[in-house]
Amino acid sequence: MGDPGRTMRRVDAVVGLTARLAVRSGRRRRPAPAVDRDLRLAVAEVRAEAPDVVGLTLAGPGPLPAWRPGAHLDLVLPSGLVRQYSLCGDPLRRSEYRIAVRRVGAGSTEVHGLRAGDPVTVRGPRNAFPFVAAERYLFLAGGIGITPLAAMARAATTDWRLVHVGRDRASLPLSSGLDPARVSLRPDDEHGGPASAGELLEGWTPGTAVYCCGPPPMIDVVRRAMPAGHPFHAERFSPPPIRGGRPFVLDVDGVAVPVPADRSALDAVLTVRPEVPYSCRQGFCGTCHVPLLAGETEHDTAGPGRIALCVARAAGESVRIGL
Amino acid sequence: MSGDDRIALTARAVAFDWSALPVHWIPGEPFATHLLDVLHLLLPEGERWFVRVFGAALPLVRDPALAEDVRGFIGQEAMHASSHQGVLDHFAARGVDTSPYVRQVEWMFTQALGERDLTGDAAREWLVERVALIAAIEHVTAFLGQWVLDARALDAAGTDPTMLDLLRWHGAEEVEHRAVAHDLLVHLDSRYSRRVRALIPAVPILVRLWAQGVGFLLRRDPVPTRARWRDLHRAATLGLCPAFRPTLRAMAAYLRPGYHPSHYGSTDAAVAYLATSSAARAADERAA
Repeated sequence: MGDPGRTMRRVDAVVGLTARLAVRSGRRRRPAPAVDRDLRLAVAEVRAEAPDVVGLTLAGPGPLPAWRPGAHLDLVLPSGLVRQYSLCGDPLRRSEYRIAVRRVGAGSTEVHGLRAGDPVTVRGPRNAFPFVAAERYLFLAGGIGITPLAAMARAATTDWRLVHVGRDRASLPLSSGLDPARVSLRPDDEHGGPASAGELLEGWTPGTAVYCCGPPPMIDVVRRAMPAGHPFHAERFSPPPIRGGRPFVLDVDGVAVPVPADRSALDAVLTVRPEVPYSCRQGFCGTCHVPLLAGETEHDTAGPGRIALCVARAAGESVRIGL
Repeated sequence: MSGDDRIALTARAVAFDWSALPVHWIPGEPFATHLLDVLHLLLPEGERWFVRVFGAALPLVRDPALAEDVRGFIGQEAMHASSHQGVLDHFAARGVDTSPYVRQVEWMFTQALGERDLTGDAAREWLVERVALIAAIEHVTAFLGQWVLDARALDAAGTDPTMLDLLRWHGAEEVEHRAVAHDLLVHLDSRYSRRVRALIPAVPILVRLWAQGVGFLLRRDPVPTRARWRDLHRAATLGLCPAFRPTLRAMAAYLRPGYHPSHYGSTDAAVAYLATSSAARAADERAA
């Protein structure tokens, strides 16, 4: 790469010395042993919160890892399915986690089948919806989106209001435990349809932090309606499941790896090369963009000659990549 | 891991438009502007190096929660690199040729701090050493991140709002992920000496490159000048860059045996800023 210049030659000398020291120091290095982050808990209590919503209390031996309102955990179901649920209990009760689950698909149906005493594995908690100090709060909950907001409302030490929207009264669980003077229930069927952003933000004043959790279209309309420069918080979801994908074959340095219709090329690569780095899983950060050696791709965010493993799919039957 | 709340780290798909950026984006303050402009010269190459090193270190990680954090860190750093690269490209479009300086920086991060032709155990230990260097640098960036979040003087000086949003979005993510490099290093090598020794090459090299960068940019200013100590003093007094004493105190904190990044800086301040940032909010809108 040509002459690096005087400064860089000095830098190189210092770095070279550092590298030699590192190799020597590494002889006595003891890396940390493997860490098991799985929490093996049992269902302690099952409670019907609404016609299609079940509340579960999960308990384990000894105090569980701490969390703050907005946190969620991964629930590993007996079938191997993993689903994420917000914690809706009291963070100070360190011996248990509480979640509430609406029956909508395969994962939640399995959760509804759990009984007191059943063992479950839990990972986390982690927080993608952190709750921070503000002068006032406006919590906007859509249906089962109440779960993290209920924990926040109970933890709030300043003025707050909560608006809970949903199809009908029966679809509005959990707000009953909160101060009724601060909670407005707004069922669509009694108001002639879903609430507009204007209705949801009614009474909002500068200095009020908005926390919104519900169906993505609801979050989207509120986000767009919020004036710039004022705090708007919504949960940062993991990428949505793949729908309408076609299966194809990925040729990874000569090894044929099948990519099922509902998995990404990245998922498939990780089964044979678990060390491949990735990050955003939405195509933009570039971490999993690798050379595309043959074949055409679609939905690809990487530049020419490259493929974004997390989002791209083969336009034809197969593509060849080099790692 | 630390604290009572483990933040899920994820990259944000931010985008910035620099077409209306004034040359002196802190109005009337060429020195302070160029002092911070050095970030755009150093960071694209530097953060891409972070991404390569952490990507290479992932297979050594035997803690699934830490691996998750490292992946989040990688995506955030990649977005920082490409966002500062955008400013650098804008400099080029404006006719400021930064390549003589940037080529040096690139050489340092790809050659001097690259693989150095090491293999086997030696390559692995050099990888761990580079994690230690990054942990030390991340201590500095977390300090700078917290500073820029708190620096009301930048608002009062009429700083260009898009540039201020870039710096604060970046600063907030640095604060948000400030423990990751430290936790990764301690996972791979928990020895005190290993951690603090990394400051010895990292800090002087960083200071030297920064000083060179400011001089380089001041010579290419529409009204070319030279870097003077009194300009640095003035910028610090006005609050347009970190003051000397707090910086020194923050660096000294790294030497404490019980040091952990979570004891310094405020995640809540970072979260609160990201909830108001135009760039972060537009990114969430795109992701939705």
